[in-house]
Amino acid sequence: MRAVWQLSLLLWRQMAVLVVLAGAIWLVGVALLVASLREGAHLAGMGLNAMAFGSWFWHLGQGQMLRGLCRPESLLLPRFRARLAGAGALDLVLWIALPATMAALAGMPHVLLAASGLMLATALGLASGTGKRVSLVIWIGFIAIGWKPRLAARVGEIALQSPWTPVLLTLAAVLVFRLALQPLLRIEDVEPGTSPLESTGMGRVQSRAMEGRPARGAIGKRIQGWFDGMAQRAMERALMAYRRHPGARQRMTLIRSLLLPHDNPEAIALRLVLVAAIVGIYFFAILHRPHYNAAVIGAYAVLLSLTRFPQLGRGMLRMRPNLADLYLTLAPETRADYQRTLVHALLLLVPVTVLSALAYTALGIVLAHATEPGRMLVTAAIVGAAASLVALAVHLIGPEGSFGRGLVNIVVVLGAMGSYWGGYVLLGLLGVALGGALLALVAISFGLGVWFAAQREYQRRAPCFDPPPA
Amino acid sequence: MSLFDLSPTANPPPNPPAPSPAVVTVQRLEKSFAKREVLRALDWSVPAGRVIGLLGRNGAGKTTLLRCLLGLSPIDSGEISLFGAPMTEPGGERMHRIGFVPQTFDLFPWMKVRAYLDFTAAFYARWNTSLADRLLGDWQLDPKQKIGQLSQGQRQKLAIVRAIAPEPDLLVLDEPVASLDPQARRAFMAELLELMRGPDKTVIFSTHITADLERAEADIALLRDGRIQFTRPLAELRARLRRVVFTRESGWPQAPVVAGLLKATVKDARAELLVEDPVQPSLEALAVREGATVQVETPTLEDLFVELA
Repeated sequence: MRAVWQLSLLLWRQMAVLVVLAGAIWLVGVALLVASLREGAHLAGMGLNAMAFGSWFWHLGQGQMLRGLCRPESLLLPRFRARLAGAGALDLVLWIALPATMAALAGMPHVLLAASGLMLATALGLASGTGKRVSLVIWIGFIAIGWKPRLAARVGEIALQSPWTPVLLTLAAVLVFRLALQPLLRIEDVEPGTSPLESTGMGRVQSRAMEGRPARGAIGKRIQGWFDGMAQRAMERALMAYRRHPGARQRMTLIRSLLLPHDNPEAIALRLVLVAAIVGIYFFAILHRPHYNAAVIGAYAVLLSLTRFPQLGRGMLRMRPNLADLYLTLAPETRADYQRTLVHALLLLVPVTVLSALAYTALGIVLAHATEPGRMLVTAAIVGAAASLVALAVHLIGPEGSFGRGLVNIVVVLGAMGSYWGGYVLLGLLGVALGGALLALVAISFGLGVWFAAQREYQRRAPCFDPPPA
Repeated sequence: MSLFDLSPTANPPPNPPAPSPAVVTVQRLEKSFAKREVLRALDWSVPAGRVIGLLGRNGAGKTTLLRCLLGLSPIDSGEISLFGAPMTEPGGERMHRIGFVPQTFDLFPWMKVRAYLDFTAAFYARWNTSLADRLLGDWQLDPKQKIGQLSQGQRQKLAIVRAIAPEPDLLVLDEPVASLDPQARRAFMAELLELMRGPDKTVIFSTHITADLERAEADIALLRDGRIQFTRPLAELRARLRRVVFTRESGWPQAPVVAGLLKATVKDARAELLVEDPVQPSLEALAVREGATVQVETPTLEDLFVELA
C-alpha cells in the first residue's frame, strides 16, 4: 500500500499547480453532487460535468508524469505494474466511481451513461498526456457534428436512450487506456535522442516533456527519418560550399545547418506540407459551420508560425553545455563576436516564420474561400515579421525559468494574435496600401526596436555554457 | 587445454565448475541493433557468491549484455535465466533480490533525493534505511536537493545508494564508478565489498578501471566479438599468464612461436608475447637458438586487458 501511496503522490510532487487546480475542480464537483442530494438532480449533472473536465485535466498531468516514470529501469521495482494498477484504481474511484455513485443517489437519470462518459474523458486526458495520437479521436466526433449537425443530434438522442451506449463508451475508454498505457509499459531499446533545436513539431502543443524524445510511432519515425535525411543533406551541401569558397556567408550557412538542422528549404517545405495536411483535416471538421472569421484564421496562422520560438528558447538552454564545442571550433576574437554569430545564425528564423505565416494564411484562404486574400496576406506578412523579431528577442534574453518563459510566450503569442486582429481591421478601414504602410510602420518599427535592443544586450552578455537548472 | 582460446570463431571454453548454483545463466543469446550484431550466441554462467568484473572495449556490448540480463532490453533469441527462472522481462518476487546501477542515471530530475529514496523504498520488502542515510551523509548527498541539480557523479552515487539499500542478492552495475572521484570510488568499492561479503551475494559490474577489479579480487569475464571469451578468477589469470619479451638487435621478421602463445607483438628489436603457463627452460632454449635474450614478466590486469580485449 505504501508503494501505491507513493505512486499517487508523484503527480503532486511533479505538478503541484495542476494538482491544486484539478483538486479544486474535484471539490467543486463533489460539493455540487452533495448539494444535489438535497436540491435535486440538476445539480448532479453540473457536478458530473465539472468532474469530467477535472478528470480530463488531472489525467493529462498523470499521462505526462507516466511518460517520465515508465522507463525500463522503473520496471525493476518489485511488482511495479501491479502497484501502478493499484494507484490507477484509486484514481478511478476518486474521479469516476465516487461521483457516479453520488449522482445515482441524487436520482440523476442516465447515470451509467454519465459514468462511462467520465471514463472516456479520463482515458482521453491520459492519452493526451502520454502524447498518444489516439487522443485525437475526439475530433472524429467534432467532424461528424460539424458535417451533419442534425444527424449528429438525432444520433445523440438515440444514444441517450440506448442501453448499449454506456457499454460502447466504456469499451472505447478501455481501448484508449490500452493504447495509451501499453507502449509505456513495453520494454524497448532506448532510441537516440534528438537535438533540442530540431524542429519537426507540427502542432502548437509541443510540451517540454515531449522535447528531445524521438518519435515512437511508425509514422512518426518515418517523418523523423525524412527530416534527419534532409538535415544531413543540408549539412553536406553547406560543407561542400564552404570547402569550395570558405567565406563568411558559407560559414554562416554551415553554422545555421548545425544549429537549426530542420530549417533548410527541403525541411521547411516538408513541414509546410505536413501542417497543410493537419490544418486541412481541421478545416474539414469546421468547414460546414455557417460562419468563420477571416481574422481568426490569420491570427491562428500567426500563432502556428510562432510555435517555433518557445522550443528555440528551451532548446538553447539545453544546448548550452554543447555550445562550448561550437565556441571552441569558431575560435572567435572576442566573446561578443561569438554572441553576434549566434544572433545572426538565429535570425534565419524570422524569414522562415514569415514564410510559414504566409503559407498557413494562404492555406486558410483557400480552405475557407476567404473574400479578401490580399488583406489577410499583407497583415500576416507584417505581423509575422514583427512578431517573430519580438519572439526571437525575448527568447534570447528572456527569463530562464519555465514559468517566466511560459508567461513571456503567452504575452508574445496573444500580442501577435491581437496585432493581427487590429491590423486586419486597420487595413479594412484605410485600405490595403495605406493601412498596410501604417501597420508596417508601427509593427515593424516596434519589432526592430525590440530586436536591436535585445541583440545588443545578448552581445553584451558573456556566453554561458552551464547546464540549465533542472 | 588452453583456458584462453581467443580466436573469433572458436567456441568459448567451458567455465570452471561452479561452486554454487548459477544466479545467471545465458544460452545462445543474440542481440542486434538495426543490422549491427552486438551479442552473438553468447553463453555465460555466473555462480552465486562471486564478484564478476565484466571487461570489454568500448562498443563491445557490456551495457547491452547487462540490460539484456535484467530484461531491460529485448533479445533477438536465446535464453536468460535469473535465480533459476526465465527472464523474459522484469517481474516476480525475485525483483526484491536484484539491484541495478545504470550507466547514466537520468530518472526523475524534478524529484528531491529524499523523496526519490522514499518512493523507491516503498516498493521493497527489505530496505536498509540506516545504510541509505549513512551513505547519503558519507557521500555528501543533500536529501533536499533535486536530482536534476546533482552532478553526474552525485547522481551515480544516488543510483548506487538506491541499488544497495534493498540489500540485493544480485547487484548489477554498469560502469558504476566512471563518474566518481578517486575518494568516492574507493569508498564505494569498500562499501560494496563489505555489503556483498555475505553468502550467495553476487555482483556483476562492468568497468574500465582495472585497479578496482584487482582491489575486489573479482573474477574477470572478457566480452569480445559478441561473446564471453572467458570467466576466470583474477588470481588464476595472474598465476598462469606471463609476458615474455625476446630482445634481439637484428629485429624480428615474425614473432617466435612458443607453446601457450595467446598474442604476439613485434616492435623493432623486441618481440612481446603473452603466454599461458610458459615453461622457462623452453623459453631460454628458444632464446639461445634465436640469438636473443629473454625476460619473463608478470603483466598487470590492465596489460592483460589491453592485450586480450
